[in-house]
Amino acid sequence: MSADKEQLYQQRLKRYTTALRNGKPDRVPIRPFVAEFVARYGGYTCQQVTQDFNLAFEATVKTCANFDWDAAVANMVYVWGGIAQAMGLRYYAIPGVGLAPDTGFQYLEPPEGQSWMREDEYDQLIADPTRFCYEVWLPRVSTEVAKPGEPASYRNQVAMVAGGMALMSYFGAFPAQVQRMRAEAGMPSAIAGILKSPFDIIADKFRGYLGLCDDLMTQPKNVQKAAEALMPHMYHVALTSSDPTGTVPIGFWMHRGCVPLISQEHFDTIFWPTLKPIILELHKQGRQVLFYAEGKWKHHLKTFLELPEGSIVFHCDRDDIFEVHRVLHHKFAISGGLDNYLLAFAKPQQVRQRVKEIIQGVAKDGGYIMDAGAIIQNDATVDNMKAMTDAAREYGQY
Amino acid sequence: MKTEQDKATAPGACVPWDKKKQELPAMTGDEQLVKKVWEEVDSLPYTFIWQMVVSF
Repeated sequence: MSADKEQLYQQRLKRYTTALRNGKPDRVPIRPFVAEFVARYGGYTCQQVTQDFNLAFEATVKTCANFDWDAAVANMVYVWGGIAQAMGLRYYAIPGVGLAPDTGFQYLEPPEGQSWMREDEYDQLIADPTRFCYEVWLPRVSTEVAKPGEPASYRNQVAMVAGGMALMSYFGAFPAQVQRMRAEAGMPSAIAGILKSPFDIIADKFRGYLGLCDDLMTQPKNVQKAAEALMPHMYHVALTSSDPTGTVPIGFWMHRGCVPLISQEHFDTIFWPTLKPIILELHKQGRQVLFYAEGKWKHHLKTFLELPEGSIVFHCDRDDIFEVHRVLHHKFAISGGLDNYLLAFAKPQQVRQRVKEIIQGVAKDGGYIMDAGAIIQNDATVDNMKAMTDAAREYGQY
Repeated sequence: MKTEQDKATAPGACVPWDKKKQELPAMTGDEQLVKKVWEEVDSLPYTFIWQMVVSF
């Protein structure tokens, strides 16, 4: 590793982590969650970076080396087609396989009545979530895996071995990728580990959004008990996948737990009571959580103030970044807020203007990290990404 | 993190050591070593299934 890259890495890491702790670094850090944008920049299709994670890694390193950012995700095109195909996962559409090669991968919402978990299976989930996932969920989401009682077919055995080894192969490649980012681009890795709310797991992976909405009306107690049963597992996954030093936060991907996707009552009685203890426990263990608040969470900002100072970083997607700052800044750092449509459709001057407005409005006292509202896909133009970067550097000096 | 679920398989495990031990011949050596290795290996299918659920 060259000395200049290591020096750059240390400068950027200090800048990023100072802002994460709601402090005031030397300048506003830039941490774009670049996903399929790296394919566009690197000269690849979405299919290439989704099917071959080594190409995604390559494109990420190239992008990091050529943009003056302070942190990035090692691979934001996080779904590797190899695993999805080994297991025959029914809930994915993968670019180049049923999707256009340059369309990002998609999650397929199960049709109503055909969700991955049936409405009368809550007792099984609640009794033993891990066993439920193996015995009920996995055979249902997979074209390969046999249900209990079915013959343990050749394809079943092959899929389980291939899936397990593929996961280890993929995860095992990340330390070297993080090291490449550091050595070749002087770029810190922005997050480590993953958390989802128990509520979102029920919606995303088990019942589907429509199924969950039905259940909230017809069997809310079972939804609550299921979310409670999932809590220790979500905590375990988050803690064991996190940065043991606590330097960078755990990514917490927030999907459908907000008004109006659910009611305030369901937020108050199910979503939040089954999430808050996880955050508190992670905080006790020295971990910070990045609330990647997809959509709008304005109705819940004050609730998040119940959490200890510095325990989270709030990432703003479609909310009013200035309101988010007014409500949360005294306790938590914030990030994001730059509209993705600007990066895709606006002129560079418009991007520059919005970056200036955001920085002048929310970054004065530190505790702000520049980023788009959502992950940046291949609709963002290179010129607009350069405009965002240059403007953040120009207006982000303290 | 504790919940009211006493009978469920604990986080980090698929086949708990207490259950596996009953299926093995009598321990004539270092049981703690066997337990440690079992729990390490057993954590792998746990990681697999929950990463499938959470990350993929």
